[in-house]
Amino acid sequence: MSYKSYKSGKANGWVVLGLAVLLAATMAVCSLFGAVDFAWDEIQDSQIFWQLRLPRVIMGALVGAVLSVCGAAYQSIFRNPLTDPYVLGVSSGASLGAAVAILLGLEAFLWGVGGMALAAALLTVLLIYKIASIGNRMHTTTLLLTGVCLTLLISAVISFLMVLNQEKMDSIIFWTMGSFGSSSWTDVWMLLPVAAVGIGVVLWYSRDLNLLLAGSEAAQSMGCEVEKVKRVLLAATTLMVAFAVSSCGVIGFVGLIVPHAVRLVAGPDNRRVVPYAMLCGAIFVLLCDTLARTVLRPSELPVGSLTSMVGAPLFIYLLYRNKKTY
Amino acid sequence: MITLDHITASFGDRRILDDISATIAERRITAVMGPNGCGKTTLLRCIGGLLEPTAGQVLIDGRRVKDYSARALAQKVAFVRQQAQTDFEFSAFETVLMGRNPYQKRLQNESQKDWDIVEQCMRQTGTWHLRLAKPHEMSGGELQRVMIARALAQQTPVLLMDEPVSNLDIAHQLEIMRLLRKADKNVVIVIHDLNLALQFCDDLMLFHDGKLLYQGPVASGLTPENIRTVYGVETHTAEGRIIFDY
Repeated sequence: MSYKSYKSGKANGWVVLGLAVLLAATMAVCSLFGAVDFAWDEIQDSQIFWQLRLPRVIMGALVGAVLSVCGAAYQSIFRNPLTDPYVLGVSSGASLGAAVAILLGLEAFLWGVGGMALAAALLTVLLIYKIASIGNRMHTTTLLLTGVCLTLLISAVISFLMVLNQEKMDSIIFWTMGSFGSSSWTDVWMLLPVAAVGIGVVLWYSRDLNLLLAGSEAAQSMGCEVEKVKRVLLAATTLMVAFAVSSCGVIGFVGLIVPHAVRLVAGPDNRRVVPYAMLCGAIFVLLCDTLARTVLRPSELPVGSLTSMVGAPLFIYLLYRNKKTY
Repeated sequence: MITLDHITASFGDRRILDDISATIAERRITAVMGPNGCGKTTLLRCIGGLLEPTAGQVLIDGRRVKDYSARALAQKVAFVRQQAQTDFEFSAFETVLMGRNPYQKRLQNESQKDWDIVEQCMRQTGTWHLRLAKPHEMSGGELQRVMIARALAQQTPVLLMDEPVSNLDIAHQLEIMRLLRKADKNVVIVIHDLNLALQFCDDLMLFHDGKLLYQGPVASGLTPENIRTVYGVETHTAEGRIIFDY
């Protein structure tokens, strides 16, 4: 009997390996281009390369992986194809924290802006969880609505802050559009362990994510500890996103679109979607950041605007291609 | 064996189930009947561990439902609910395969055994030809049969079914009921068709206003008096069939 068109099951090892090699190659090549281009033999004793370029490239890959994995997880937990990693207010909380830090002139301190952003992001999400939990159960619709509502409220506050402090508007806007311009090894060492553990947790629960898509009662009666799984996954994903956002600002579109693009090619099974999205998201953000720092040299574009500009046409093409197969 | 020990379930002030005690015998098909909103679904959710009763407890094989882990309970009890759909496109085959979850280890792929069981369950429910179909490509009845196949793939001794045949045409209704008869499981089924219940079920639990009005063999439970009390409808019996008077 043939299961040839059975696009499911565990991730295909060859695909994962291929994508990993592609990611490594992309990292190697992208690290050569930027405000200053390098040739292979110049790398060895270049301070710029080791202290600025390399951590920036690693951060790009890490953040891309984190956003895509969290997007895939949220879309399954909330059973809503429109959710992205920022839907629970992490990004708006972080932006508010960053804006306040910029206004207070904390940019001079190491991790002044990032630290404030992280604290504010976590505080916002805790507030949202508090509002949305009834007893010890988490009501996902309320969670989603609270997140959207608080996001809007906070962006209103940020706009208000910007109007009152017009001279700092540029740096706040630049922060909210996302950039890896100031990424350092400190950022890498902060995000790397959180991302490794967080992505590990999502991979571990990837079959439960499939069950959650069938609805939480159905998932429960098929042996998934729904409340526990949701709680663990939300904690892991929120932490990852908070750390990512607080180091590089809000990079839109990646977390929404990369998982969908992967689904269009590899089917809906999260055991494939999560690892593939992790690697594809890393490659995608890396490429976008390379474009962001080379297109208008010597000035930089916010990478968040590029992810949308590059990603949207690509995604529309995938949608169009898939339409024909129906 | 399922034991209901003084089950009460309330939502706010509304008492849906009022002090229900009963035992549901093994290897029989028990019909749960009563008008809409009389607590049938709530009873199934209590047995399936999806809702904790406000008072009393449910025991399956002598053990309290809430003491089972989700995985252990999913190896004992499968649940076919009134249909819910998702926007994500798992094929029918993948959907049925999910029923194997309680037997699978994490990070492990499906075994040949899982695949064989899925194929067998899909053939039994007449859905094998739909195995590559996505939810939006199937009719309501086809989707319902896929859900039944998923529950069968769980290979549980207990099968809870909330109106599993209400969306099906008569041919498929009969096919599913025949399948349940052959399945040799402890089936608890919410069903509205009096004659279908009479023909295929062994026992009856008849609910009226959250109370258990009758429990026992189905034939002696579906009397004109009971039907009048519960539904307010006049009937008579002819040649072993229930005929409505109107």
